[in-house]
Amino acid sequence: MKLNLYETKNDMNEHVDVYYNNMRPVIRQLIDTVNSERPSLSGRPADEDLDDGDEVILDPRNIYYLDHVERKLFAYTKDGVYRVMNTLATCEEMLWNYGFVRVSKSNLVNIYKIVQLKPDLNMKVYASFDNGERICINRSYKKSFNDYLQKMRGMM
Amino acid sequence: MSTNVKDYLLELCCSYTIISVLGSVVNIIFGGQTNNINVLLMFCFCAIIVFVLSLHKLFDAVSPLVMMIVQYLLAWGACALVVYILSVLVEPVTPRAWFEFWRSFTIPYIIGAGYYYYRVFADAKKQNDLIAELRQKENDDTQG
Repeated sequence: MKLNLYETKNDMNEHVDVYYNNMRPVIRQLIDTVNSERPSLSGRPADEDLDDGDEVILDPRNIYYLDHVERKLFAYTKDGVYRVMNTLATCEEMLWNYGFVRVSKSNLVNIYKIVQLKPDLNMKVYASFDNGERICINRSYKKSFNDYLQKMRGMM
Repeated sequence: MSTNVKDYLLELCCSYTIISVLGSVVNIIFGGQTNNINVLLMFCFCAIIVFVLSLHKLFDAVSPLVMMIVQYLLAWGACALVVYILSVLVEPVTPRAWFEFWRSFTIPYIIGAGYYYYRVFADAKKQNDLIAELRQKENDDTQG
């Protein structure tokens, strides 16, 4: 898809024009991304049976958490798991304003998807999501996690 | 000097000061006495315990409960070794003294561990409240 960018300093009415020949899912996703004004992550289904070669644009609002496993980054959503080609550090920076915070060396969680934080009897603290999954909040990241929550509250 | 060494020395100085002041207060109240060996032993215990507790980053992969138990055993073992060496070199340690040593080591440790346990749950509750507040605001923004 060809992309043209025009800088119009005198025109305060910023807008996006999309020329398409049929309303494919990717065009719909592009419209959603522009309307919601959120950064978009693209990924391919982690399940090879579902992977038809097309990249899917992932809305950060739908991502529960990002998991870095064996040098691969996966995004967990309600609909499934997607392989994302960015690095975890890039995603952390890109999604900082959108509720994503690092909770361990390999996990970035969306705080808006956390249903509950629950400590186990062995004192490990887990973040539970509404899809039933849970991610451990590492002790080393506990302070930065708390600082992040405080900062987000201050910004709202 | 590396940051780790600086942090270690700072924590050691603070711990030793607090313990020696508390020890002096207890001695004044209950009329106890101390001697040079006891003062040196107290410093030695502080150095060992602060060192073992400062190793907590090595235990990131395991649960805090396991970390506490391992650190307790390491610190107690190292301190007991010092007491044993002293008992050989200076004066034999009686079984009653070993019991007192174990008790005076374990009780503060259990109190500290209990406080840490309480803080884990209290912090989780606070963070749960914060997350609920943030989610509510996010929903309001999205709908509004």
